[in-house]
Amino acid sequence: MISIEQQYSDLNQEKKAFSLISIFWTFFRIGLFTLGGGLAMATVLRHELVLKRRWIEDDEFLERMAMATVVPGVIAVNVAYLQGRRLRGKAGATVAILGTVLPSFFVILFIAWVGLPYFSRPKVAAFFKGCAIAVAGQLAFAGLTFGKKLLRNWRNLIVCAVSVVPVIVFNVHPVWTIIIAVGLGYFICRTDEPPGRLNDRY
Amino acid sequence: MQLLFKLFVSFALIGLIAYGGGLVAIPLIQHEIVGNRQWLNINEMTEIVAIAQMTPGPIAINAATLTGFHVAGVAGSVVATLAVLLPSILILVMITPFIERAGENKLILKLRQGTQLGVLSLIFFAVWSYGLAVVTDWRDLAIVVVSFLFLVAFEGKLHPVIVVLACGAAGLIIF
Repeated sequence: MISIEQQYSDLNQEKKAFSLISIFWTFFRIGLFTLGGGLAMATVLRHELVLKRRWIEDDEFLERMAMATVVPGVIAVNVAYLQGRRLRGKAGATVAILGTVLPSFFVILFIAWVGLPYFSRPKVAAFFKGCAIAVAGQLAFAGLTFGKKLLRNWRNLIVCAVSVVPVIVFNVHPVWTIIIAVGLGYFICRTDEPPGRLNDRY
Repeated sequence: MQLLFKLFVSFALIGLIAYGGGLVAIPLIQHEIVGNRQWLNINEMTEIVAIAQMTPGPIAINAATLTGFHVAGVAGSVVATLAVLLPSILILVMITPFIERAGENKLILKLRQGTQLGVLSLIFFAVWSYGLAVVTDWRDLAIVVVSFLFLVAFEGKLHPVIVVLACGAAGLIIF
């Protein structure tokens, strides 16, 4: 049985954890430390939100990433909006988006102003090639993380495998992957064990 | 002023259509900026895309900032960046109330599961297409595997960005 003091302290802790400054700063770090954007940022996002800050758990994170990916628009912005809104409503959403976008905005302006010639230097290219390769590793890691959670039965495996084939083999637009997965999943998958948990607020 | 408006329209469109990740968006951006508006030639576009991929942040946003700057200075970069963000925000603002009210009925649950599986598929596809584009020989593959193993081993303890920077440093040495 938790004492009254402890309960109040926990509540205050929670309020402090979701302060606008901490939301801004967390998403600023995410915006600054993500190379490759979109799905590649899933690993960094998870590290910051789930593992480091412990603001949400994997189930909810998976849920949020899925929604952010499915909704049209830049994935990073979608995630920032949804997650920020979940934490501190519309103010949280605004602050999260600002945090995500500002670092790259200023870095790029700085580069456009000052550093464009440097980018053609071979050593710079070599460095960024190494980074790009690491991003492939990050993507693979994101696949492992989500795969562990989702591919728990053969139905899910089939849906996943079938939905990815058209894009790889026939080069259709990725939206078809989602369409096929949702359509096929509707008929095949069972919902007794939904992988993503719903929450009261988005 | 008219130029800023056109910038806004073009990048709002790009923000909307850039579905499935930045890499998929690149041909669309090229089509709009080089083919349609002719603000850049293909060489300039290619350079911008390369920089957009190397800098932190989503490719679409970086491309917007860069192109905007090239076309109309700082004002252009601000307008283009705002424009590319807008579709995401507008759509989400509109549908979030519906999601919150949708609740936990069975149809939604089924749709959610399919969506998550679809996203997982997209991740696998991204690994495939990105890997194909970036990995050229066994050294590259070795770096991918090593970085992957590091991420697995130090999950939660090591910030992924450190792995990326380390691979960059490795790139300096190896390439």
